[in-house]
Amino acid sequence: MAGVVRRIFANLPRINTCNYVKTPLLSILPSVTSKFYSNVPTPYEIVDAQEDRKTYQGVIDNVNRQVAEKKQGRLFAVVHVAGKQVKITEGDVFIVEGYWPPDAGDKISLDKVLLVGASDFTLIGRPLVQRGLVRVEATVIEKNVSHTKTHFRKKRRKQYMRINFYRTPRTMVRVNRIEIVGEVNHPPAVTGLETRIF
Amino acid sequence: MVFTTAVNFVRSRGPDEFWRKRKVFKLAAAYIGRSRNCYSIAIRSVHRALVYATKGRKLKKEDFSNLWDTRITAGCEQHDINYHVFKESLARNNILLNRNTLATLACWEPFTFKALTDIAHKRASEDGITPPKENKVLYIPKRGSQSKN
Repeated sequence: MAGVVRRIFANLPRINTCNYVKTPLLSILPSVTSKFYSNVPTPYEIVDAQEDRKTYQGVIDNVNRQVAEKKQGRLFAVVHVAGKQVKITEGDVFIVEGYWPPDAGDKISLDKVLLVGASDFTLIGRPLVQRGLVRVEATVIEKNVSHTKTHFRKKRRKQYMRINFYRTPRTMVRVNRIEIVGEVNHPPAVTGLETRIF
Repeated sequence: MVFTTAVNFVRSRGPDEFWRKRKVFKLAAAYIGRSRNCYSIAIRSVHRALVYATKGRKLKKEDFSNLWDTRITAGCEQHDINYHVFKESLARNNILLNRNTLATLACWEPFTFKALTDIAHKRASEDGITPPKENKVLYIPKRGSQSKN
């Protein structure tokens, strides 16, 4: 069954930018044939890094060039805020519902970026895009509460009736800027580890 | 006001009849016919409306949830991939976009959604992820098929 499906998928148009290994066991280590241990590389293990790099480097170079020349245009991003994902672009106002500590006037940077898109490319995070690559700046413009919602329950012929009113806090956030500051696939080196004990 | 008994106190409690009824009439202001002016009918329809409003807030969430599924399914069909295979492949790739976001992308960012389906296609073919089997009715009892013992 799996084989059939694989063949079906193989016929479909899709990107072919993978250098994953499908070499059989015997071709790698002919001397070792263990019944219990598999020497086959795990799926998605990159065996030839050079070859792998060749396949995607062109795309990444193009993206980096476009960003360097500032030709990427207006960006949109999917950010994770207060437990929800929001698709935002520059100048947007979005509402965070429920208790959320930032106060009005606070300038915040939204760091959990799941996806960034431009007209020519999309950077998809797994689950987040590389830290420090994208800067999303926002300002909290207003904090207030929603309209009054009535929670009313009633059972017929059972003398049961309850009424409650509630309002949920709401925070309005203006997105000031979304920009790519780093280089794709070139994360900054980790520094400051010399002084750390753990 | 002097109350000689507790019963009288209980009976006379609460706001004046006019104000008590006015609360209900304000909610019934836009109703049609007698349910707008006649208290005994107005209170019934106001109560029913409030119950609907309470239940509706939950239903709205369910409806939107279904709408997202519909939109993602439509987007997936456009790119020849099964919804479940798509979701499973994305999860295995550690792409944790939720259904709300995926539906938004399917609607408004077709190129981004295409990129996601491409990734899913690749992963599905690598891992051999198959669409789940449809529910089949295995046995339909017919009249007289069950033997009497």
